[in-house]
Amino acid sequence: MAILEEPIKGVKEVKNYINGEWVGSKGKIVDVVNPATGKVMGKCPISTQEEINAAVEAAKAAFPEWRRTTPLARSRILFRLKGLLEENFEEVSRIQTMEHGKVIDESRGETRRGIENVEVACGIPTLQQGYYSEDIASGIDEWLIPSPLGVFGIIGPYNFPFMIPLWSAPYAVATGNTIVIKPSSEVPFSQMRLAELAEEAGFPPGVWNVVNGGRTVVDGMLEHKDIVGITFVGSTPTGRDVIYKKCGETGKRVIAQCGAKNFMLIMPDCNVKATVPALMTSFFGNAGQRCLAGANLLIVGDDNKFYNSFMEEVVAMSSRIRMGYGLDESIQMGPVRDKEKRDKIIGYIDIGIKEGAKLRLDGRKPKIEGGCPDTCFVGATIFENVTPSMRIGSEEIFGPVMSVFRSKTLEEAIQICNASPFGNGHAIFTQNGRSAREFQYNVASGNVGINIGIVAPVALFPFSGMKDSFFGVLHTQGQEAIRFFTESKVIIQRWF
Amino acid sequence: MEISTCSGAISLSRELENESAKFYQEMSKRFEKDKDLFLGFAKDNAKYVTQIERAYYGVITDAIEGCFAFDLNEEDYRIQATPSKDASYSNALKEALAMEEKILKYYHTAAEQSKHLMADVPRNFTLVAKKRNERVPKLKALLDQAK
Repeated sequence: MAILEEPIKGVKEVKNYINGEWVGSKGKIVDVVNPATGKVMGKCPISTQEEINAAVEAAKAAFPEWRRTTPLARSRILFRLKGLLEENFEEVSRIQTMEHGKVIDESRGETRRGIENVEVACGIPTLQQGYYSEDIASGIDEWLIPSPLGVFGIIGPYNFPFMIPLWSAPYAVATGNTIVIKPSSEVPFSQMRLAELAEEAGFPPGVWNVVNGGRTVVDGMLEHKDIVGITFVGSTPTGRDVIYKKCGETGKRVIAQCGAKNFMLIMPDCNVKATVPALMTSFFGNAGQRCLAGANLLIVGDDNKFYNSFMEEVVAMSSRIRMGYGLDESIQMGPVRDKEKRDKIIGYIDIGIKEGAKLRLDGRKPKIEGGCPDTCFVGATIFENVTPSMRIGSEEIFGPVMSVFRSKTLEEAIQICNASPFGNGHAIFTQNGRSAREFQYNVASGNVGINIGIVAPVALFPFSGMKDSFFGVLHTQGQEAIRFFTESKVIIQRWF
Repeated sequence: MEISTCSGAISLSRELENESAKFYQEMSKRFEKDKDLFLGFAKDNAKYVTQIERAYYGVITDAIEGCFAFDLNEEDYRIQATPSKDASYSNALKEALAMEEKILKYYHTAAEQSKHLMADVPRNFTLVAKKRNERVPKLKALLDQAK
């Protein structure tokens, strides 16, 4: 096993990509820090309103010509992008590990998921077809054309810097729109590299733009009259109270995919050997920083013997997780993105102790391999005796913390899940088809897992979400994304 | 070193294939009589690396247990990249058989450990093991002739 080479050497300057040009910013510059090593790897601008305006203006100017480009021609550029992404798969993946901290298997997984969206969007010549009815009245025909709308803004989060903008971008441009992507300023390099590859693939100037920055850039995009729609992935307070609200006020289409508190239900008949590793990935993969992560483990039934033996397996495997720099292939869990996030997670662990939950595994002082500083690391943490009224059992921690609940019956377990304000990715582990169906039928969750710990839909299905986990109507990915990025033009025709 | 991650297991597969390819290349130089067979083995090793990497890069996603699918010890599968110095043909063939046995054990163990978790990867481990297993009777036949 090896420690893989870093693709970014020294300190790299992040630039905006506007109208086919890489341009510096006049805004404030912030450091991009590798959370595993603590080293500064880049300088990222917080772009100005003028720079946002320039990007939107370029996108608006490019729209008429891009719209007239045939779907087949647009598709060919996407095919080229897909090829370039495959060629640069490893580099793109390692960039994610460097800027975010996730381990290399997770980064490669993220790259693959991103590429899958490009692959699906390559089918745009058929995906964007309308439909036609002859003789809706005598001599009158009617048909529908899914038409592009204009400029879309895509606001990416820090936890999946490469993949999440690709839930939207390929569909937006495939359908004939133009885009402005705003990556998180904490993790700008994945989108910078993606834009370089998009440029190489042959997108005309102005079709694909990237403007780096933080909240001011988001506000600038929300206020901009020429942006017709926004896709956003981030926290529930921002998604609901800022993005969704502001898009409503300004008449923009919106997809706001937000926070979660996912339950993993364990039935006593589950396949323990396969379930425990699945739970490790669910709760501790990506250091718990994902909206589909398991947060609450809910063990069903009053069989204490099963509970004790199952928890022993979970604790044993959790306590063996190797932490360190994700470019070391032996590492299973990386750091969280920054010290502020680590401190927030540690704060929640302290709250859990005060609330009276039993701290079965304490991740506050983890063992870290390879001499990495401990600044951003939190180890796997497990609380037992958690109840829905506790903050650790109800609020999104966004870190590697497992809260263990118990319920007597499956019905009670589903009630506990449904009492949560979130509904993103609940799952059940069982060998019983009836239990599985009861669960999938009754649980209020946009994505439902049956013996799957991370309920992440592939690109041809929408990335769903319910309740406080999603604001909007249509979702990113697949057919729903095609509908989101087009409006229906219906033509009724009669000839005299 | 313990291997838990898929990336680690893929790297070990690559290393085993590359090292055993070197072994057979050396065999082809030392024992020219059967060099075509040995060079064929070495060439097949490169195909197996491609097959396994293609499976891994094709299915790895953030949704499957890439970091928790294996419980292997790298030391259990160490192989030598060349036959022992001054080994007779019979002894070199015995070393080749021992090496194949170790590599087969690796693929079977890795496939078994990850069969519920890693989608196409364990299937390809098994397929490669099946193909590699075809070498065993060939090597045994050469050993019988060499005795």
